[in-house]
Amino acid sequence: MRNTNERPICHRAEDLVTYLYSEASEADTKDFAAHLQHCDACRSEFGVFQQVHESIVGWRNEALGQGFIPATVAVETKVDSTHLVQHQRKLSAVAAVREFFNVSPLWLRLATGFALLLLCMLGVLVISNSLKQRHRQEQFEAAVKEQVEQRIAQTPRPQAAPESIQGTNSATQNNSSTAVVINRPPAFASHVQPRSTRQRGLSRQEREQLAKDLQLIPRDEDELPLALSDEPNQ
Amino acid sequence: MLGAIFGFSLANGSETENQLETVTNDEQMVERALSGDPEAFGEIVRRWERRIFALAFGMLGREEDARDATQETFLAAFRNLRGFRGEAKVSSWLHRIAVNQCITRQRRAKVRGETALEDEAEKNAAVFALPMDISPARTAEKVERSIAVRRAVGSLPPDLRQVVVMKEFEELTFQQISDVLELPLSTVKSRLYTALRQLQLRLQKFGK
Repeated sequence: MRNTNERPICHRAEDLVTYLYSEASEADTKDFAAHLQHCDACRSEFGVFQQVHESIVGWRNEALGQGFIPATVAVETKVDSTHLVQHQRKLSAVAAVREFFNVSPLWLRLATGFALLLLCMLGVLVISNSLKQRHRQEQFEAAVKEQVEQRIAQTPRPQAAPESIQGTNSATQNNSSTAVVINRPPAFASHVQPRSTRQRGLSRQEREQLAKDLQLIPRDEDELPLALSDEPNQ
Repeated sequence: MLGAIFGFSLANGSETENQLETVTNDEQMVERALSGDPEAFGEIVRRWERRIFALAFGMLGREEDARDATQETFLAAFRNLRGFRGEAKVSSWLHRIAVNQCITRQRRAKVRGETALEDEAEKNAAVFALPMDISPARTAEKVERSIAVRRAVGSLPPDLRQVVVMKEFEELTFQQISDVLELPLSTVKSRLYTALRQLQLRLQKFGK
């Protein structure tokens, strides 16, 4: 850069910077362009300032990268960013999936697709199996019900209800097959006794006797059989 | 045009309806943040962090310092959110906080005897940051030039430097700079003129 320390300063310094950064109105631009033609000081300074400006922009681009968007570029978007953000939040899951498929390589996309297909097939299999099982169970239940109804229909009705309740062997033995459903089974009936005829619990004396009889280890150590000799091994 | 994104009112009143809507959005975000919406302030940060970082980088000249200053700016803004009365635009308010943060950091650095000038590591970093297809001689020249410009900008007085950075790094209009710094338009222009003159002299001094 040329040494311009001693150059004269024009009174239109403010107009010069406005012109330099292209912020002057059309009329002012024309006016200052005409002024530059005959003002050596302004022309000289304009050239120098342009170099300085370019140097700073060069440094800025190196430091912040070419991707840095200054205000003038950012304003071109003119987007209501509040709405944009809300929209993005709503579609975040979809956007994430889309982003994933955009970013990921082909093999990963294929693998994901295959995995999804397998997952779907597995789901279909599980659902169909459960449906089949339910169908079988229903069929089985229907068959059992049918058989039971048939047997009930074949079996003559019991004469008296109290007999069947008491579980008399004569009635149940003759109709053992129907007793399962209608009457109590003989085995069960034999165990079930009327409250009045049930055996009373053991008396205290009987319990003690029983405990004594069942006691395998004697209380006194002296009563223990001599299994081992007290004498040390020789 | 710039008024929309930065929330300034331009003198010629050429803002469109969409732009005005965006202007209110920043203020709405602050209101939402004040009413307890935790994401609203995050949105403000997302909108402005790059430009505040650019401003801090221009002011401080080092990426680490710029990052710290940006972080401190948003922290200070968050702490003082209740103090924001809506008299100024959010962008002006943030810029003012950032400028103050940068000046404070520089004062502290001066007290500690630190400078934002390059060391060998930074020089190497600058070399690696350049594209590989440039010849070594050209790379060296570019690095030297960048360092010289950074030194020149860094050596400007803070009141001149902030105008240069806002103009060159953020490409704000004179009116916007005037709004942010609360200075008359003519003062902004004369400061920029003085700053450019001083930069030219300093670049000469640094050999570029």
